[in-house]
Amino acid sequence: MALKERPKPFLLPEYCKGCGRCLDACAKDCITLSDQINPLTGLMPVELDLTNCNACGLCMDACPEPYGLRPAHEGEVQDFELEDPAKLFGVKPSEAIEPFDIPCEVLSLPRTEPLVIKGTYASALGALLAGCRHVYGYPITPSTEGAELMAKFLPKLDGTFIQAVSEVAAVNMMYGTAGAGLPTMTFTSSPGFSLMLEGVSYMIGAELPGVFVDVMRGGPGLGNIAPEQSDIKLACHGLGHGNTQAITLAPSTPQEMLDLTILAFELSFKYRNPVVILGDGYLGQMTGKVQLPETMTKPGIPKWAVYGDAMHRKNLITSIFLTETDLEAHNVHLNAKYAAMQVEARSESYLCEDAEVVLIACNTPARTAKGAVQELRQQGIKAGLFRPITLWPFPVEDLKEAIRGAERIVVVEASAGQLEDELHLALSKAGVRQFPELESVRRMGGILPQQNEIMAQVLGKKEVRA
Amino acid sequence: MSKASVFYDKFERHSHAEGLKGHATHYCPGCGHGLAHKFLAEAIDELGIQDRTVAISPVGCSVFLYYYFDVGNSQAAHGRASVVALGHKFANPDSVVISYQGDGDLASIGLAETIATAQLGAPITVIFINNAIYGMTGGQMAPTTLMGQTSSTSPSGRNQYNGQPMKMAELIAGLDGPIYVERVALYDAKQRIKAKKAIQKALKLQVEGRGYSFIEVLAECPTHLKMTPEENEKWVKECMEPVYPLGVKKDVTVDPWFKRNPPSFQGEKILSLAGATYEHPVRNCQGFPTQLALNDISLKLAGSGGDGAQTAAMLIARAAINEGFDATHIPSYGPESRGGTSYADIHVAEEEVLNPGSPDPQVLIAFNAPSLAKFGPTVRKGGYVIYDSSVVTEPPVLDPSIKLFPVPFTGIATDLGKAVVKNIVALGALQAATGIFPKETFLTAIRVALKDKCALIPLNEEAFAWGIKSVEAIRG
Repeated sequence: MALKERPKPFLLPEYCKGCGRCLDACAKDCITLSDQINPLTGLMPVELDLTNCNACGLCMDACPEPYGLRPAHEGEVQDFELEDPAKLFGVKPSEAIEPFDIPCEVLSLPRTEPLVIKGTYASALGALLAGCRHVYGYPITPSTEGAELMAKFLPKLDGTFIQAVSEVAAVNMMYGTAGAGLPTMTFTSSPGFSLMLEGVSYMIGAELPGVFVDVMRGGPGLGNIAPEQSDIKLACHGLGHGNTQAITLAPSTPQEMLDLTILAFELSFKYRNPVVILGDGYLGQMTGKVQLPETMTKPGIPKWAVYGDAMHRKNLITSIFLTETDLEAHNVHLNAKYAAMQVEARSESYLCEDAEVVLIACNTPARTAKGAVQELRQQGIKAGLFRPITLWPFPVEDLKEAIRGAERIVVVEASAGQLEDELHLALSKAGVRQFPELESVRRMGGILPQQNEIMAQVLGKKEVRA
Repeated sequence: MSKASVFYDKFERHSHAEGLKGHATHYCPGCGHGLAHKFLAEAIDELGIQDRTVAISPVGCSVFLYYYFDVGNSQAAHGRASVVALGHKFANPDSVVISYQGDGDLASIGLAETIATAQLGAPITVIFINNAIYGMTGGQMAPTTLMGQTSSTSPSGRNQYNGQPMKMAELIAGLDGPIYVERVALYDAKQRIKAKKAIQKALKLQVEGRGYSFIEVLAECPTHLKMTPEENEKWVKECMEPVYPLGVKKDVTVDPWFKRNPPSFQGEKILSLAGATYEHPVRNCQGFPTQLALNDISLKLAGSGGDGAQTAAMLIARAAINEGFDATHIPSYGPESRGGTSYADIHVAEEEVLNPGSPDPQVLIAFNAPSLAKFGPTVRKGGYVIYDSSVVTEPPVLDPSIKLFPVPFTGIATDLGKAVVKNIVALGALQAATGIFPKETFLTAIRVALKDKCALIPLNEEAFAWGIKSVEAIRG
């Protein structure tokens, strides 16, 4: 039987680290350790004497280096004189074409009657209409209904819902799916969002889109399941470690839970960055009127997505940049993106044009504050409401306009001043030094500020002045 | 063996391929990673799956797996590689996803993800490199460090206070999710052949859509185990292997099952799931029920779990929205799953609900005595209190301006044969007592809600009618 001649091994000493794994693999003792230090590597490569070599190949199997012991081919001889090993094999440029975007398709929907649904349901429907078919989550009150709806609907749409072992796992499943360039989201509530922050930092670092609906509840710790606005600081300034920022949206009605979820997906892909939706416990649980849009999205595949085909193999999803200058450049890039996101600032001003008293609130407290504005107006007090819809970036230009004529500013919130801190920071950064001292109506622990409390604050001060 | 084509021709990602780094790994001499990489690359090559392969790099020395493998590459947070792998697998079910992890990553910080992913059983391949030490952070104790073995965080040897070594292959094999679990080693030619075969088999099972596979590789870390590569090979054989016996731990034959259709983007399908309707419901109201409030009515329904307060609240909100008004409903529950408190705050507004909470409602429907006692005193002057007189025998004294309607919700519902319709009796009573909406508005909402349970409609209609009759009887 004619055997095809097997190749003997060949070794470039520069690619040998001298581990010696090949030594005991060789039955013919062709390989020996050396005490000669290779000047290029500072290591001591093995020495080959192939006089007795029978080309069994076991030494090559034992070599851990991809470019270490390899079959000798024609022209490669043992006394090879190396000039520049880095250039030896050259670069085989990938023949694949550069990755390109497969764009999203916008499909039209027939007009339907308003639905009567919970805020979390509205958000879930928004996600489906935005093209999201991959949802990962861990049940936590008061956001669970979103996950439950997804668990029910997604299998019928050949989508994926996985109940993860924890929020940590959920966010990392999102990391994987987002890495493949597909829209993905989760529903969570404050303690769960805390757990997800590690993954959020990685997603921001690796520039991955994803939507986080955090239905905020009372904290700190286990707190309770009633509504609070206790994660504003976390979303605006604490998205895990590193220089992280994400657009943070604050809906105030079930309708906005739907509208802003759709917007969140759009922004998330536009900037390759997570987007946070902060709802409060009321919004998550509250049933209200929701009008569906007349279009929906079928997602495409962005050019940066990771797949195994030759074109997409050029991509890499990672957040590690070992060289300091590389990481600094990456941070500069991320910060340029954060700067670009400033144009996404959104707000609603209600009767602020002539307002002497401007209430500032978001989420459900903004509805209550609107009620207070109406009641104050009935009593002849020129009141207005400024409602930030994005908490980050804070709509400071709109705010400046809204408080132009304000003699008093009252911040209404269900937290210990987290919204007020955003206001201070935004005004300070915008160079606004002159504004009325901020007054506040605050509740915590799962209690939202009530209209009569806002009235008392506004009227009480008035009386004191008189 | 020649270099597998799955390795890059030049390691551009390794320090920009400067000098020797273009063709040399960053692993120390004698490290087990290089061989495991090589066997993995050869298996991908031989199965012809490079175009479908996505590798997840972990945290640890192999964080830079993506320097070398010319496949789809994603780098995960410490311990999370297996769930990142799942995210890729479900995004792209045709892909072959490999989660390559070390002992700190897989068996310590990522233990929850590791076990949950294994138990989920979706076809991914996990390559677990166990070298009994932390490499990248510099020689600290690993979950797999042997008893008595010294490390920088077990300087006098691992003892009982550090716990026992984690036998991951046995642990994973004990789960129902995985289909193939094997532990292999790299210390001699025979073991290397087995290791390569195991890795190839694990990938093949994934390619065939059969399930989750797990290969534990006993590997050398001469640098941090403070041995020569040769000594380390011997140590793996003589010290590690008795604790971590080699061999197949689980191998079950499973028919291919992982087949995923592409997701659907049919709008009608989503609208139908959402329960969307296309026709305007008939409006019966002449205008906003201003007999109750100018433009915003506040109601509270209170009972215990199972009373149906939330369903009744939903029906009121649905009825209001059908009439073109705005409405909100906020449920709140006690911590109990059954039998605890269950309250609903409802608002009906002519244009927009601004205060969805009902701390001082105009209308209270109370399903039991504690609810009536708690919320009765919060009802506004001139308001309405409707309560279940079957269970509340001694109502509290309320403001004389409040109109009281004792209606035996439970009694009527029980007489009708189904206690669960007591909330519908309550709705009938609400309609008759307050005239908030015409009867037909409630009945339409009830019929729509029961469209999938049509047989129950007559019973509910009857319950509603009895609620009305009871109020009429009270009024005389």
